[in-house]
Amino acid sequence: MNRHRRPAEKFLYVEKKDVPGKICPECRSSNVKEYPILSDGGWFTVTKCQDCLFSLQRTPFPPEARLGSKLRLLSDYL
Amino acid sequence: MRKPVKDLSAKEFDQLYNCDRFSALVLGNRYRYIVKHMCTGLLTRAFSIILRDWYDFAGTISGPPELNYPMVAVSDSLILFIGTMPYAVSNTVEEYGVSNIEPGDVLLCNDPYRKGTHVMDTCFIRPVFYQGKIVAFINLTAHLLDMGGIVPGGFGAEKVNIFENGLVIPPSVLYKKNKPYPPTWKLLFDNTRYGEVLLPDIKTIYESLRLGEQLLLESIEKYGLDAIHGAMRYSCDVAEDAAVEGISKLPDGVYVGEELVDADGIDDTEEYRLRVKITKKKSRIEVDLSGTSRQARTCINAGWLDAEDAVVMALKFLVDPLAPVNSGSFRPVDLVLPEGTVVSALPPEGPIYLYWEMTNPLLLAVWKALSNAVGADAVGGDVGSLTIHSANGLWPDGRLWLNQSVVGGEHGPWGANKVADGDNYSTIVLANSYDTSTEAAEADSPVVLLRKEYVTDSGGPGIHRGGSAVRRDSLWLLPGEHRCVPLHFKTPSGFGVFGGRDGTQGAVWLFEPKVWRKYKEKYGLIPVTTDVYNESIPIAGVLNSKTKELDSKGEYFWPWRQKVWHIDAEYIFRYQTNGGGGWGDPFQKDPEIVRQQVRDEYVSIEGARRDYGVVIIGTNDPHKEPEKIEVDWEETQKLRRNSSR
Repeated sequence: MNRHRRPAEKFLYVEKKDVPGKICPECRSSNVKEYPILSDGGWFTVTKCQDCLFSLQRTPFPPEARLGSKLRLLSDYL
Repeated sequence: MRKPVKDLSAKEFDQLYNCDRFSALVLGNRYRYIVKHMCTGLLTRAFSIILRDWYDFAGTISGPPELNYPMVAVSDSLILFIGTMPYAVSNTVEEYGVSNIEPGDVLLCNDPYRKGTHVMDTCFIRPVFYQGKIVAFINLTAHLLDMGGIVPGGFGAEKVNIFENGLVIPPSVLYKKNKPYPPTWKLLFDNTRYGEVLLPDIKTIYESLRLGEQLLLESIEKYGLDAIHGAMRYSCDVAEDAAVEGISKLPDGVYVGEELVDADGIDDTEEYRLRVKITKKKSRIEVDLSGTSRQARTCINAGWLDAEDAVVMALKFLVDPLAPVNSGSFRPVDLVLPEGTVVSALPPEGPIYLYWEMTNPLLLAVWKALSNAVGADAVGGDVGSLTIHSANGLWPDGRLWLNQSVVGGEHGPWGANKVADGDNYSTIVLANSYDTSTEAAEADSPVVLLRKEYVTDSGGPGIHRGGSAVRRDSLWLLPGEHRCVPLHFKTPSGFGVFGGRDGTQGAVWLFEPKVWRKYKEKYGLIPVTTDVYNESIPIAGVLNSKTKELDSKGEYFWPWRQKVWHIDAEYIFRYQTNGGGGWGDPFQKDPEIVRQQVRDEYVSIEGARRDYGVVIIGTNDPHKEPEKIEVDWEETQKLRRNSSR
């Protein structure tokens, strides 16, 4: 596994990125964000309405990122 | 969007699940029976205390790769393991390679970052083949007694990287075509202690897996593979429906909760915060852990799989407590989890070992966040920490002895709820293990348990009282190395709900032989009077700096001033756990029940007056004259009426 250092910040946050131009088909809100989530089956990148929590898109992380966005197995590169 | 199972017509049901509704129900129960039968076998035949008497393992059945490995049934043991096991199975099988697996194989993996929990907890996976194809997996994650590393038995808070934790076994094969695969066994035995216990434990695990396989194959023969897989999907869909229904009942809104962990094994300069922001809209829910502390510097961290387990189980406990747990229970919950926190630690500087010390507080943070939203369904906080004591040394003949998790603060109270007082003697909510008998604890190591009792006035007052704190004194008969791991004494873990009040905070003390001998002559035991603490060596807790007795406004004693306590014979450790949180306004509690609890010494006469507004008369000594205790109803009414609470 790769080497991660202890984060310098005392508290950590997930950044939710704006997705301009997207409208929630369920509640018509434009408050739509993209960010990683963990749910049954593993990690996903979701595009999600922040008002009604409807997921416009849920894309599983690629196989090499099955342990999260930061962990990689060196043995995957043999 | 899938139609709820209960709304399906008979025809729709048959088409969707390849069997009728009745057969699906029978098979769902059959899966749980298989897991239970397999686990009972392991429980009754294991050799180590940790498996045999602690129930420190869990079993599951998973579906095949083409169904995406759904976990369809789980054991009734460690909740800590349950949520991690679907990933343990899929990650291990995929990394080992489905095409490399043959009938009669057993795979294993113990890597916390691939399969959750810690390195001792090894996941054993038995593929079930039918007509030449993998149709399911039978799985056991079991705590093995040792995995090498710098701490015998592993339970220490001082390890600063994953290498000090011990052997990490990536997805590997342990049995090939029902024969032991020697390289893996040699790797295991050449890097661990206590092989004489590991060997029979693992052999028992292997036979238990074979039992599970045999029972599932019997069902496949009887019902057919299509129905078996249909019922697997049905079981998970039903669990998802129950979870969605429970979540839907929560009022829409945003809820925030926090819980603190005292310190890590480096120093006491940094407390660790678990923070949850729960957003609920209709049947959808998202739990955001942003604002949670970065990973600790020693092995008190948990991993990403442990975090998901804790959050989902915390929610399920409150909103959907009755439906069986399986993969479907996890589907409705989205977890927003920053990587590199105390519950998503990264290697090598974020070692994971005492993971429950972070995930149980995470559960408590969820409960706190929702305590108002669920109203009367709120549950008080529990003991909060396993507060483990671990000791090792040598018998006079040179053999190693090891004592783990049986004489410290591992067993303590749960919080109260709308139904009843909190249980007084359990493990943390997420562990749900057994208590080792005193005889078993004493038989395997040189220790005598002198006390194992409840602490009066420690459970959070309420209409239903929080479970009482547990006090245990252990006398050590031989010299040894001792490690104490209390991580939740600074603030009460047993928070009160629905008008109930908090339980008390706990502590750990050490008494030297000269103190023990002094009191032995007079009392036989070291007493519990406050003056005795002045003669103690305080190990952990918030204590009066002069008298060393419990004082919630006192000084925090950080437990790792000595990483290892090297003690001679006849030292005594005293552990007192936190008390559980109360439920409901204690001044509304039936005075007759307060009288009974004074009689049973859960509440003192003074506590009855102070905490419940109940005036007790008839005797000043409930211990000696329990049946003389009476309620002064008139004075009680007056006291309650005049109370300025």
